[in-house]
Parts: sequence; C-alpha cells; structure tokens
Amino acid sequence: MWEFWVRSLNASTIFTVAALGEIIGQRAGIMNVGVEGAMLFGATISFIVTKTTGSYLLGFLAGIAVGALIGLLHAFFSVTLGGDQVVNGMGIWILGFGLTAYIGYPYTGPLGLPRLPAINGLSPFFLLSLLLAAGIWFFLFKTHAGLKLRSVGENPSVAEVSGINVVRTRYASVMFSGALMGLAGSIYALDYNPVWNYNFLMGWGFIALALVFFSMWNPFLLLGGSILFGALWQVSLNPEALLPNIFSRYIWRTFPFVITVIVLILMSTKWFSSRWGAARPEALGLPYEK
Amino acid sequence: MNIAGYKIKLEKKTSFSGLEAAALSVLAVVVALFLVGFIFLQAGVDPAKGYAEIFSYAFINSFGVPLTINRAIFLLLCTFAFILPMRAGLWNIGMAGQLYAGALAAFGVAYAFGARTNPDVPAGIVLPLMILAAMAGGGLMGLIPGFLKGKFNTNEIVVTMMLNFIAFWVTAHMIKEGGPFMGSGGEGEGFKLPPVLQPGLFLGMPFTIWFALGLTALLQFVFTKTRIGYEIRSFGASPAAARYAGVDPFKISVLVFVAGGVIAGLAGYHYFATVPGLFKIPKNYGDFGDLAFYGIICGLISQGNPLAAIPLAVLFGGLTSGGRFVQGKLQLGFGIDYAMLGVLMIILVAFQFFFRYRVVFKKEKEA
Repeated sequence: MWEFWVRSLNASTIFTVAALGEIIGQRAGIMNVGVEGAMLFGATISFIVTKTTGSYLLGFLAGIAVGALIGLLHAFFSVTLGGDQVVNGMGIWILGFGLTAYIGYPYTGPLGLPRLPAINGLSPFFLLSLLLAAGIWFFLFKTHAGLKLRSVGENPSVAEVSGINVVRTRYASVMFSGALMGLAGSIYALDYNPVWNYNFLMGWGFIALALVFFSMWNPFLLLGGSILFGALWQVSLNPEALLPNIFSRYIWRTFPFVITVIVLILMSTKWFSSRWGAARPEALGLPYEK
Repeated sequence: MNIAGYKIKLEKKTSFSGLEAAALSVLAVVVALFLVGFIFLQAGVDPAKGYAEIFSYAFINSFGVPLTINRAIFLLLCTFAFILPMRAGLWNIGMAGQLYAGALAAFGVAYAFGARTNPDVPAGIVLPLMILAAMAGGGLMGLIPGFLKGKFNTNEIVVTMMLNFIAFWVTAHMIKEGGPFMGSGGEGEGFKLPPVLQPGLFLGMPFTIWFALGLTALLQFVFTKTRIGYEIRSFGASPAAARYAGVDPFKISVLVFVAGGVIAGLAGYHYFATVPGLFKIPKNYGDFGDLAFYGIICGLISQGNPLAAIPLAVLFGGLTSGGRFVQGKLQLGFGIDYAMLGVLMIILVAFQFFFRYRVVFKKEKEA
C-alpha cells in the first residue's frame, strides 16, 4: 500500500507543478491551453541534455529554460500581438507535439543513468511541489506583488490606471508559468519515467489544464486534485493491485481520462459554478489594449 | 517606426477581400515550408533536393501518388470534421477519437456478421451497414463534447482530447492481446476484411473520394445558402449576439459536433476499410490519429472554407507521404512530417496577426 501511495504522490507532483504554472498565467489573465506542448518541450530537451552531458542539474535547467522560452512565445502572441489565446495555445501544443517527436526520436529509449535519490520511494520533487504550492499561494494572496498580478487578471484597465505595468506583469507571469510547465516535463522525463518515447506525456498536460478549472485557481485545492488524479493514474496502471480481473489493462488506461471528463462535467454545472465560479479571473482570455 | 522617410503604421482591418485572405494563407504555407528547410539543412540535406524528392514522390511517382490521394481524402474528411465546429467558434480536436470510433463501429458490423472467420458474408448488406456504423460511431463520439458544451458549457478542447485517449485505448483493447477484433496473426492488429468486403477502386482511387467531394459541395451549400449555415456562422462570430437573435446555442453545439464526428467516422472507415493493403485496423493506427491533426492545419489555413480545403488536403497529403519517403531515402530523422506539422501550426498562429492588422507605409511629410 505504501508503494501505491508513493507512486501516486510522485505522479501528482507533475500535475501539480504544471498546473501551478497554468494558475499563475491565468491569474494574470492569460490562458495557455498548450500546457502539454510546453511540457513536451521541457521533457524532451531536459532528457536530451541529461543524456548527452550526464548531468541531471543541466537537464533540469535546460527544461526550465525552454519552458520559459515557450512562455515568452505565448506571451508574445497573446500580449503583444493580442491574438486569440486558445488558438495560440493550440499552436504551442501542436508545435511541441510535432517538433519534439522529431527532435527526440534519435534519443528514444531509457536515460541510462542511476536514478535520482528518493526518500523511501518518494520523490523529493513531491516535497518541492508542496513548497511551490504554498509559496505560490502566499505570493498570490499575501503579498503586494501577488495582488498586482491578480488585479491584472481581473481588470487590466483599472490596474494600468493604478500604476501597474500590465504588459510587463503578463509577460513575467506567462514566462514563469512556462518555466514551471517545463520543470514539470523535466520531472516526468528525468525522474518519474526516464524513458523517452514520442508524445510520451499522453495527455498529462491536458489533465493539468483541467485541474486548474477544478482548483478554482487556488493552489491548495489544486494540490488535492493532483493527488486524487495521481492515485487514479496509479490504479489505472496497476489495477490488479486493487481490483483484480475486471477489465483488460487497456480499458484501465482509459480511466483517468474518463474521470477527467466526469469531473469537468461536475465543475461546469450551475450548482458548482454558482458556488465557486466567482474565483475565475474576470479578464481571463481577453486581450488587453490600451 | 520610421524607416528611410517612411512611417510604418499598423491599422486594424475592418474588412479584407477573399483574394487577400488567400494570398496570406499561401504566404503562411510558404514561410512555414521555408523554415522546415532549416530542418533539412541541420540534417545535412539540401532543402531544394529534399523538397524536390518529396514533391516528385508525392505527385509523380506511381507508388507515391495513390498514397497521396488516400491521405488527401482522409485529410479532407478530417478537415471538415474540424471546420464545422470551427465555423461555430468551437474547437474539435477529437478527430482522432472520432475516427477510431468510426473504424471500430464499422469493423464491429463486419465482426457481427462473422466476417472475422467467414469469407462469405452478404456484402450487399454488410458493406452499407459498415459505412452507416462508421458514421454513427463517429457521430456518437462527437455527441459527447457537443452535448456537454451545449448543456453545461464544458470546455470542448479538454473533453475532445480526453476522448482521443479513451478511444485510443479502447481500440487497443479491441485489437490486441486477445481482444475480439484481433487478427489471426497474433501481431496485435485487427482482423482483415474478407475480399467481398474490400471495395474495389474507382479510377485507381477508393470510392470514398465521392464522400469527400460530395461533402465539399454540401458544406459549401450549407454555409452559404441555408439558414442553419447562417446560424452556425453568426454563432461563431458572436455567441451573445446570435443568442439574442434567437439562435439556440445547445442546438448549434450538438449539431456541429455530431456532424463533425460523423465525417471523422467516415475518415476512419476510409483509411482502414477501403485503402488497398490495409482492410484492417493496423498496429500503428495511432499514426492515423496523429495525421488527423493536419485537419486542424487545413481548417485554419482555409479559414473554414470547404472549397479551399481541397488543394490544402492534397498538398499536405502529399507532403506527409513524401516526407515519410524521404526519411528513408535521405536518412533524415524520423518524424519530418511531425516537425512540419508543428512549424506550420505556429506560423499560422503568427499569421493571425496579419489577418487583423494591415501594415501601412506612409511617406513622412516634410517638416
């Protein structure tokens, strides 16, 4: 049982870090539906760097850096060019899907390095994800800078008038958001499952995106959601441990996706949105023009 | 910005002509292909030679041309599955799941008539039923995001993407490791249709080309000449205004997603049940789900225009089949067609800007 929970928490780490990135961006009013693309970039680049240099540290740094660059690209499209954020995000996703399939292919296979240390099986990155969630919650709700960031996402015109640089705030938030997605991808590729295969995230980025809606843009609710999904994912990978001989292993693999859809439906009902919907940043998805 | 006495300004476009839109689309494709040339360079291949090989294989070579046609039909159907919701302002990225569902339903009919083991099924009944089942399977798969969007305003991007993975694994369950549709070879692929269920070619092309061309005409007619087409377009332009004018959002959302799913289901039937050499759900069925994402590219470049989608489907059908070919011939890395997909998409995103703004050069007045 301990092993099951440890693996679930390790899986949840990746959802948490990626979705925390998305929360930061969305709190500043910029939606990035291309989480999966940014994560694929982070995962692939960090994997290649670590495999060629043998250094985990360089790999993580490269993953974070490429994530931030993807964030910069998204910010350029969404803030400077003011395009439709959904279209831009889809662009980020398909760019990541297509380009990493090509770039990473020669590196297909296992990383071939000793695994990163773990505490009784628990990845240290899980602890990092807890710290990040707490830190981002503190930043967003207890600091002046966090208040500024949120005001940009709620009402950019008013924020601008009160002396906040909307463009700069949004750029910074979206780049930081991309960096976290890149980090999440790196954790997946270097720690959770260090075997490169094309499109190997299999929709984790989209689940992270769904978790943001689920979290009501609150890092702590997000943490709970991530752990739930991490556990579901583990059940679907090793169903025999809990519920033997019901479905084939392929059918079990559909479970996290089925549950994501069910959770999304519950969250979109009137009952749910009238209770919690007010947390949605007011200016989310809207381009800002002076 | 001032350059050489000219003032460069951006003006918001209020309208632009069809010609201007077409020119911009062509330019976007050219820029993207130019950038992909750098991938050839990095792999040590002269881009001109790389493209020459791709185009000659895709559009001249007697092995390549049928492949291009098969892919073009497939892409055209996937594009229509994408643009129906797109014209209503909705995102269907679930073509992959819908086409797997269509293929599973079609092969399910063949299976129900015992075609897995019995070569003498009544083709006159089974074949039409397979086509109808493919449409129904894809349509049901499309109904899910359409209903959820219309009823609860559930994010259709996440739902369709989740359904892609669900359909992917259900397909694996059906054709692999003792699944009901598993072929006799035990190689993790679906059973092969008996010869009576293998439709012949028409002028060297699968008969499904008539579906693709017929749908082009139908969609063009629906979008330009019918009330429902007008409702779809007005809902896409402004959901709030359309609602005010009496358009029912639930109806539109269900309609475009079901219709899109039906068409994607046909795409699944087309590739797995009419293309010579297949006639089964192959081991690498996931590649066709990935190929379906080119439907997004064709849909975005054509701006949702069904007629404009035809040359694009032919172009990308050729580029992907030719891309696969040069990989082997010129020792390029795997996935040049994937890289091209990514670059095309991001260039299109960048080009959105030029659809909304016009760059104007004005002579500076003498001070």
